[in-house]
Amino acid sequence: MVPYLGTLEQKSVKVACMSPVESDEELTRKQRREQARADRKAMEDAAAAAAVRRTRLTQLGVVGAVVVVAVVVILIATGGGKAKTPPKVGSAGASSTVAEVQKLIGGIPQSGNVLGSSTAPLTLQYFGDLECPICQKFTLGALPTVVSKWVRTGKLKIEYRSLETATREPETFKLQQVAAYSAGKQSKAWYFIETFYHEQGEEDSGYVTEKYIQGIASQVPGLNLATWTADRSDPELANEVTTDAQAANNNGFTGTPSFLIGHTGGPMSKVEYSNPEDPTFINEAVEKLLKA
Amino acid sequence: MSARALRITLIVLTLLGLAVASYVTYVHYAGIKPACTAGESCTKVQTSRYAELEGVPVALIGLIGYVAIFVTLLAPEGENTRFALAALTVGGFAFSAYLTYRELFSIHAICEECASSAVIMTIMMCLAVWRFLRGEVPPGSAMGAGPAGQNATPDSAAPLGSAS
Repeated sequence: MVPYLGTLEQKSVKVACMSPVESDEELTRKQRREQARADRKAMEDAAAAAAVRRTRLTQLGVVGAVVVVAVVVILIATGGGKAKTPPKVGSAGASSTVAEVQKLIGGIPQSGNVLGSSTAPLTLQYFGDLECPICQKFTLGALPTVVSKWVRTGKLKIEYRSLETATREPETFKLQQVAAYSAGKQSKAWYFIETFYHEQGEEDSGYVTEKYIQGIASQVPGLNLATWTADRSDPELANEVTTDAQAANNNGFTGTPSFLIGHTGGPMSKVEYSNPEDPTFINEAVEKLLKA
Repeated sequence: MSARALRITLIVLTLLGLAVASYVTYVHYAGIKPACTAGESCTKVQTSRYAELEGVPVALIGLIGYVAIFVTLLAPEGENTRFALAALTVGGFAFSAYLTYRELFSIHAICEECASSAVIMTIMMCLAVWRFLRGEVPPGSAMGAGPAGQNATPDSAAPLGSAS
């Protein structure tokens, strides 16, 4: 800083000895040099800044590309919604499901869509959608305990009712729920319901087709398929699905599974839950009613 | 916006995201219903098969992501940490976009906590990318934090809480 100022002072002394024209020319030349230097520096700075910016954009581009690839991999890995066909009768998968369902509800009386003794003092109404994954969690997680503890012992009967939530198409909903009720005409609705939940497909993937429903029915032990098929066109069963929806609406249910419990033939009250896989909420409700 | 103000904004957003992700992770492991004003839609999302990725809850993945972002923000600011933050938030944004896609087109329900996290992550990504692209802000500049003429170590930031 100081040497530079000194130079300027020396220059000013020198300029004082020059003619005005020479001074102007000298200053202009100097200004041009400085201007050129400043321009060059500005260009170099701009080029350096542009290079840094390009590097940063490239880095971000690489990150973006990696992220896009990762998301595509996740999308593919988590499934694009392939239709699911239940395992064929006699296959290892089918045998396993049939054995599990048989172990759970085999020997328990059924009537229509009701599981349990007709003389059971308590009734639980289970509003479900066969495609609803939370219902699957309840059916596979909490229900086995409830069945073995209360239904098998004749204290509780469970009535399955329909409420459309997870199924996107109302026609598909009616098709699958009526198929279950149709099995109920042979007192095997719960075999159909349990098998459906055991082999439930990916939500909203359109896996419920006529072939799928027939595949479920074919795994119901002892179901007369010809009779079952004929019964599916019974308008009474479709009306029952509609009545169930009205009952759910009257009780303010918007999600599944939803539950009503009470003394058989008496008033019913809602059962709230926080974890559908934990049977405690039903156990407590049953115990309370049995004490009452 | 000054580097310091930007950093504080990002930290506040990260803390909000951490709170949301912690709550959703807790709800997942406790197996309880999440707080939701839209009926059962939150439960529907959080109990769907998309709530886990290869057995790992997506809520936990989100929580880990926010923790990583938080740690990056606490580290001394420099080119590398600005890049790390931008990369993390771009990744977080993409993951949020994937989850929102699943909510809208696979589950057909919206989880409020997930949506709020997605909004937080989107804002954070915009800020972090802007922060990375603009690079070091010279002190005393229109965007800078410090007063004119104040010395600053290049590529480093004053610790939070200290005067700038």
